[in-house]
Amino acid sequence: MPPAEPVAAVPSDAALIAAWKGGDEQAAAELVRRHARALARFLGASGSGGRGDADVDDLVQETFIRAFRALGRFRGQCRFRTWLMTIGGNVLKDAYRKARRTRVVPLAEELRDTEGDPHEHAVAGEMEARLAAGLERLPRMQREVFLLRAQQGLEYEEIAGALGTTPGAARVHFHHAVKRLKEQLA
Amino acid sequence: MNDDQLEKLAQRLGARAAERLDVEATAQAVIERLRAERAAGERIGSWLPRQWLRIAAALVIVVGGGAVALRIMGSSHQSSASAPADLDGLSTDQLKQVLEGVGESGGEAVVSVQDVGLDDLNTVELRALLESLEG
Repeated sequence: MPPAEPVAAVPSDAALIAAWKGGDEQAAAELVRRHARALARFLGASGSGGRGDADVDDLVQETFIRAFRALGRFRGQCRFRTWLMTIGGNVLKDAYRKARRTRVVPLAEELRDTEGDPHEHAVAGEMEARLAAGLERLPRMQREVFLLRAQQGLEYEEIAGALGTTPGAARVHFHHAVKRLKEQLA
Repeated sequence: MNDDQLEKLAQRLGARAAERLDVEATAQAVIERLRAERAAGERIGSWLPRQWLRIAAALVIVVGGGAVALRIMGSSHQSSASAPADLDGLSTDQLKQVLEGVGESGGEAVVSVQDVGLDDLNTVELRALLESLEG
C-alpha cells in the first residue's frame, strides 16, 4: 500500500492576513477566494443596496477593499469572515444612500432569471422577495444579527463580538427580528 | 411559518448572487485596486515632504511679513496722529529715545507661525500665498 500523500497545510486567515501585511498579494487573493461567496450571500440577502443582484459583485469588491485598508484595526475580536460582513453592512448603508440619490430601476425578476421551472421560481421568488422586503424594513442591528445567525449560522458570542454588543443583546435582537419577519410573512 | 422554515428561507436569500459571483475575477479586481492604491500612496509619500516644506516656507514669509507690515503701519499711524501734540515739548535726547523705542517695537513684531492660521490672513495675503504656491 503506497504511503499516503501529506496533506497540504491550509493557511489560517490570520496567517494570510499577516502575509498580506508583509506584501504578499496572493495572500489577499486567497482571502477573497475564501470568503467572497459567503459575503455575496450576506449582501444579496441584505438587499444589495437596493441595486439588485448584478451589483453584488461591486459591493463584494468594495467590502474587501475597505477591509484590507482597515486591517490594522482588526484585533481578532471575531472571525475575519464575520468582521468582513460588518464592513459589508457599512458598504450597504452607503450604497442605499447613493441609490436614494440616483434612483435605479431594477430589472424585473423574470428577466433576470431565465433558468429552471418558471412556476417554482415564481413561488420561491415571492417568499424570498417578501423576506427580503421584511429584512429591509428591520433596524440595521436586527437585520445583521438575523442574517449572521440564521443565514451564516454564527453563535451569539461571535455575532456580539463583531457588532460590538453582548450575546444577550444579540439574542434579543434576533428574537425581535424573527417576530417581525414572521408577522410580515404571515 | 416556523423558525426552521424561516431560517431555510433566509439561507436561500442571496444564494443566487453568490452563485453568480465570479470569485476569481473579484479576487483579481481587488488585487488590482489594492496595487493601484499602494502605488498612489507611495507617490504621495514622496511628494508630500517637499511640498509641505514649500508651503510652510511660503506661510512663514507671507504671514510673518504681513504681521510686521501691519505692526509698522499701526505704530506709524499712532505716531503721526500724536506727534503734533506730544513731540513739540521733547528735548533731542528724549526724541532719540522715542525713535529707538519705535525701532524696538518693529523688531518685536515677529509672529510665531504657530499662532497664525489661514483665517488670520486678509484677501491680499491669501492671494500672495496662492501665487507663491503656484509659482
